[in-house]
Amino acid sequence: MSLAEFLPEILLLAGALLIFLFDVLGRRRLELVGGVAALSLGGALLLVVADLGVSGLAAIRTVPAGSVDLPLAPSLYAFTSLGFVFQVTFLLAGLFVAVASLSRPSDEKGASVFFGLLLIATLGMMLVAVASDLIFLLLAIEVTSLSTYLLVAYPRRDERSLEAAMKFFIIGALSTALSFFGASLLFAAYGGTSFYALGPGVAFVGFPLLAEIGYGLLIAGLGFKVTAVPFHAWAVDVYDGAPTDVAAFLSGGSKKMGIFAFFLVFLGPILLLRSAPDALPATFGASLQLTLGILAVLTMTVGNVLALRQKEMKRMLAYSSISQAGYMLIGVAVGTYPAIAGAAFQVFAHVFMKTGAFLVVAAVAGLGVGPLIEDWKGLGAKRPALSVAFALMLLSLAGVPLTVGFVSKFVLFSAAVEAQGFYVWLAVAGLLNSALSVFYYARVLKAIFLDRPDPTSPVAGPLTGRIGLARSAVIAVAAVAIVGLGIYPGPVLSGISTAASHFVGIGA
Amino acid sequence: MSAFSPAGLLALSGALLGLGLFGILTRRNFILLLISVEIAINAAVLNFVYFAAFSGSSSALSGQAIAVVLIGLAATEVAVGLAIVLGLNRLRGSINVAEASALRR
Amino acid sequence: MILEELAFLVIAAVAIVTAANALLVRELVHTILWIALFFVDLAALYFLLAAPFLGVLELGVYAGAVTILLLFGVMVTRKRIFAREAVTGIGPAPLLLAGLVLAVVVVGAEELPSGEGTVHAYAPALLSQALFNADGPWLLLLGLAMLSALAGAIYLVREGRE
Repeated sequence: MSLAEFLPEILLLAGALLIFLFDVLGRRRLELVGGVAALSLGGALLLVVADLGVSGLAAIRTVPAGSVDLPLAPSLYAFTSLGFVFQVTFLLAGLFVAVASLSRPSDEKGASVFFGLLLIATLGMMLVAVASDLIFLLLAIEVTSLSTYLLVAYPRRDERSLEAAMKFFIIGALSTALSFFGASLLFAAYGGTSFYALGPGVAFVGFPLLAEIGYGLLIAGLGFKVTAVPFHAWAVDVYDGAPTDVAAFLSGGSKKMGIFAFFLVFLGPILLLRSAPDALPATFGASLQLTLGILAVLTMTVGNVLALRQKEMKRMLAYSSISQAGYMLIGVAVGTYPAIAGAAFQVFAHVFMKTGAFLVVAAVAGLGVGPLIEDWKGLGAKRPALSVAFALMLLSLAGVPLTVGFVSKFVLFSAAVEAQGFYVWLAVAGLLNSALSVFYYARVLKAIFLDRPDPTSPVAGPLTGRIGLARSAVIAVAAVAIVGLGIYPGPVLSGISTAASHFVGIGA
Repeated sequence: MSAFSPAGLLALSGALLGLGLFGILTRRNFILLLISVEIAINAAVLNFVYFAAFSGSSSALSGQAIAVVLIGLAATEVAVGLAIVLGLNRLRGSINVAEASALRR
Repeated sequence: MILEELAFLVIAAVAIVTAANALLVRELVHTILWIALFFVDLAALYFLLAAPFLGVLELGVYAGAVTILLLFGVMVTRKRIFAREAVTGIGPAPLLLAGLVLAVVVVGAEELPSGEGTVHAYAPALLSQALFNADGPWLLLLGLAMLSALAGAIYLVREGRE
């Protein structure tokens, strides 16, 4: 184990420890601790981007090219390029939230605990992305989970936040218990917990029924993390009760961690099913894929249908976040490398769209506008730049051409069609759902740009609140990235495709 | 047919997992919810221990290692859960989940 | 061996009864007593399974620390310690779901050998070698989880001037 390979992770840990040290010394100004957090996140991001093999950054590579994408081996961790892509996504989500949070009042209570936990939560996600062992994976998820329960609770004088944290905690602990019980059954069936032991590299011996039950429990346990229907009911209340900046981090970061965990856990059996169908008991592989497919369709449909009825902006975004998880699950269910690339690109794009949207909601709340969609009426005339950025994010979520959301959905759905058979229906379901989602996004856009504000609403007044330079900058970057990647996705998309093909190659 | 066998132990841990789930679904007091979760996690720990004990292969030792780590993790979760409860209790004076209504509308 | 068989049957029965009682009695303090018994019982099972280190750990961490923490939680959050938990209706759905989980696991158990198992003992020294060498990263991850738990939990319960 070479420590240099974990330099980005160590940087995050050092940042967190430094922040806690400042806290003990009584230096708790938000700019100071937030600056440390943003710097360590930015530094880690730079290092991971270098690890992706971007030319010009080869000098600061921490993981040598020779130890990336190696064949599956019985080890606890392994570096893959797809893992690096996800690490970039997690770090971007963390960085966006950290920088935007710099705009909060500088004497805010608990700033040091907020930024410290944000760093440790991101660190847990980074470790999920290098896991090569089921227990390592579940423990890394646990690092993130424990930090995020406490992140939700950090405004400790706010009853709503603490209630959300309580709900989040109970559901999270339940998911932990189910996941570890499933892992123990897989341990019994295969005699090991590394993905090498579980994966297609080893012929399937042992107890097929136990393995099936174990995978079933893992679907439930990890399903809570990605808010897959029917394990989604907690998510909206938690996103609603949590501070909006934390909700942005949850939907942009910790949910994506769940998607990558799905990749790691279920791709082994699915790839084995594709390469050597006889190696598995007949009912096992097919039922696994069917389950994942049904999960994907249910998740996107239920999320969208419930989003249609929401009156509150934050809850609408939370439901739309659930439906987006459904699209990403298509990539897991199909399991070919274009589909994985599509899902990974969707995850990447989601940071700009969803995290960005939540940050806009926080900004608008800072202006004194209420939480209902109605309260946003007429905002377009008052704050045109902010409204246009928000409109771009919503259009991208709906998958309108010339935005990054269109590209990611196009790649994902066409991969599902290419895979033939039952997968075509997944693409059809995805398309129908995208059409459905246009309704509620359009309703919001109509309120913002076409409706006149109610005379009593703050929007009709002078809107004196400030958004802050840092938050405005993050929102601008997200909006530019949505359009930029929508028009010219070439280099990023091809990089992710290569990473996905390597990832499938490791398992095959 | 012997009860002290892998099959018998899995039946026991399955029963404990079922009890834990039942508790999480029906109880409303946060302490009871914590206890339900602990029962369910203990079922998983038990699984790792006896699979390691009965298998006897060299890799089985890691089953016991996992059990050690899991016991530590579960204790950490209790600490976090109690911190949230105490915070809420200070604000409101009740930890009944059924009364947690600020989020219900 | 008939003796081990008997011991297991007693331990299993006690485990299920204590766990069920812990969830069903109405006085919260009694719940704590039942769950403490449950943890002690599990520790006995680990000794039976030739895992003495885990048995001691279960006694120390669960029967000791976790029980005290829970008791502390009950004492702080209840004005009257022996306050009764309101009776909540138990619908058929939770029972069904819990029963379903049990049934599925038991069906899976049929795959496992049901003959008398041979229990293999490991020297605790080997366990510690595994924990600190090959499986070391697991402990590191646990340490990270504990770090964030420590930082957050202290902040949540710390009295601040606000």
